[in-house]
Amino acid sequence: MGAKAAPDRRVYVTRTLTLTASLLAAGLGFIVFLQFGASDGFDSFDVLRAVLIFASTFWLAWGAFTALLGLTSRPPAVPRDPGPIRAMTAILVPVYNEDPVATFARIAAMDATLRATGFGDRFHFAILSDTRNDEVAARERIWFLRLLADTHGEGRIFYRRRTQNKGRKAGNIEDFIKRAGAAYQYAIILDADSLMEGATMVEMVRRMQAAPDLGLLQTLPTIIRAKSRFGRTMQFAGAFYSPIFARGLAMMQGRTGPFWGHNAIVRVDAFAQSCGLPELSGRPPFGGHILSHDYVEAALLARAGWTVRVDDDLAGSHEEAPENIIDHAKRDRRWCQGNLQHSRLIFAPGLKGWSRFVFVQGILAYIAPVFWLAFLAASIAAPLFAPPIDYFPIEYWPFPVIPVSQVSKALLLALGVGGLLFLPKMLILLDAALRRRVRGFGGTIRALQSTLTELLFSSITAPIFLMFQTRSVLQVLRGADGGWPAQTRGDGTLSFRDAWAASHWIVTTGAIVLAFAQALSPQLVPWLLPVTLPMVLAPALISWSSRPSRTTLFTIPTEQQPPAIMTLHDRILARWEADLPHRAAA
Amino acid sequence: MMQVAKPEQFDLDRLAEQLGKLPDAPLAMPVQELETAPHASGLLAALRPRFARLRKAGH
Repeated sequence: MGAKAAPDRRVYVTRTLTLTASLLAAGLGFIVFLQFGASDGFDSFDVLRAVLIFASTFWLAWGAFTALLGLTSRPPAVPRDPGPIRAMTAILVPVYNEDPVATFARIAAMDATLRATGFGDRFHFAILSDTRNDEVAARERIWFLRLLADTHGEGRIFYRRRTQNKGRKAGNIEDFIKRAGAAYQYAIILDADSLMEGATMVEMVRRMQAAPDLGLLQTLPTIIRAKSRFGRTMQFAGAFYSPIFARGLAMMQGRTGPFWGHNAIVRVDAFAQSCGLPELSGRPPFGGHILSHDYVEAALLARAGWTVRVDDDLAGSHEEAPENIIDHAKRDRRWCQGNLQHSRLIFAPGLKGWSRFVFVQGILAYIAPVFWLAFLAASIAAPLFAPPIDYFPIEYWPFPVIPVSQVSKALLLALGVGGLLFLPKMLILLDAALRRRVRGFGGTIRALQSTLTELLFSSITAPIFLMFQTRSVLQVLRGADGGWPAQTRGDGTLSFRDAWAASHWIVTTGAIVLAFAQALSPQLVPWLLPVTLPMVLAPALISWSSRPSRTTLFTIPTEQQPPAIMTLHDRILARWEADLPHRAAA
Repeated sequence: MMQVAKPEQFDLDRLAEQLGKLPDAPLAMPVQELETAPHASGLLAALRPRFARLRKAGH
């Protein structure tokens, strides 16, 4: 059991202020919309739409205030043990039908940077294969031997393949702990596409050694190696905005921080004592294995009294990300199911209040788009149910009373929502310019251009994501299990035909919405165009954004000056790939 | 493509298995209690329409 830490008053005050401010912003949206809706007569549709505006605005305001928190706080000093590394650490690399050449080359690079720190002998790698494809598994064994030969890694680098995938990734880690966990004090959990500097891993161990109540330490991985237009936009957003949002979140989380499933270190005995996951009663998607296990593991560690912390100042932690909208939507489908499954766990016994709130937040992240869509549908249908306007509301008064236009209220609401969406990003840009963080992003002008283009791109693609997320939520509510598809990595370019096959239903939906709006509420059509036009153009946008990016926009620090580990990984991969024809013929 | 049935492949498999063996250091990982009552449904599960169930979904 971890040490019981005293509650941090500052964390509670920060949470209360952020929650209150978000509720006030949502309440304001609710009242303004009610005034607008009541201008042509008040009915139940106005109340429904106002409630949907309340929920959606709350979610937007929560994000905006988190960013403001991140901008107005600095990371607190954390204890670190500067002495020798005493503990043994296992670096876990779960793989599932991945390309072994690319994955094992990352391990070779990480191993080299670890040995360069002088503490290489304190770290072991364990490749934990859940690969189902026998041909891929055979290649894994071949390349494992190559990895051992190149790194002289015998006795330091291990490979194990499970015959059954019980519990998926969480089960894979659990299997390792049950077999070999007692040999290690710490375990660094990675993804197959993670790349982490040896110095960062050593620093993580130092921080764990210095804080005996720390059960899990999460880093903020930066996205690297994006090549497509979509991928580089996401990569820029991740590098430019995410550190600020993460810091804001860290200010509220206190000792109940997050676990994002990879690029984190855990105290093995704490993890073993607290994080054995049960199979939930009932069938998937709500029953069965816990899909988004990381959130639950963080909550369980906190329940047992351990501190879970995110240190956003830890550099040298990287990951790769989907290169196109369809791959992003596939991953999102899995996350959506996992987050909605957490509705089963909100009232789990003994959890910290914040852990329960994190589950609610995760659910809201996927439900909020459905609220927006419901709001649009209700707005289109509202005229059908609105009472006729009464031009003679005063008895015996011979002249008509023309209702006062409330368009200004609608504009005020639109401005407020726009402000919550765009203002945090513009403030992050201002902060980056003042603190000279923009240097890594090509300077102030380039960062400004990148931010504005990212805002435009994310606004245009938002309706497409809204549709994919809504479909995911409806699929889960209908009881459809998304399964466990392997991650698609690599180039990711999509032809128009492929994009059409994946998104023609969005085109149809957009066209139907426009037709209904034209028939029922023609005055709404201009307001709906920013949503419906991208839907109608979805295949073209998806295909275009999957193509290689050649712009100098979206420059990030790791593109300007690639970290040593990326260069090393490139070199090893090039050498190994040169051997591929020879090996494939073997 | 690799021929899995080749005898030398089996030798390599055995070698990989032998060299890759994890340290033998078992650690208990007890299953945690998360559900308050068996078959308790979540808030969202309660919203599920029962008439239409699908097996699999994807993109």
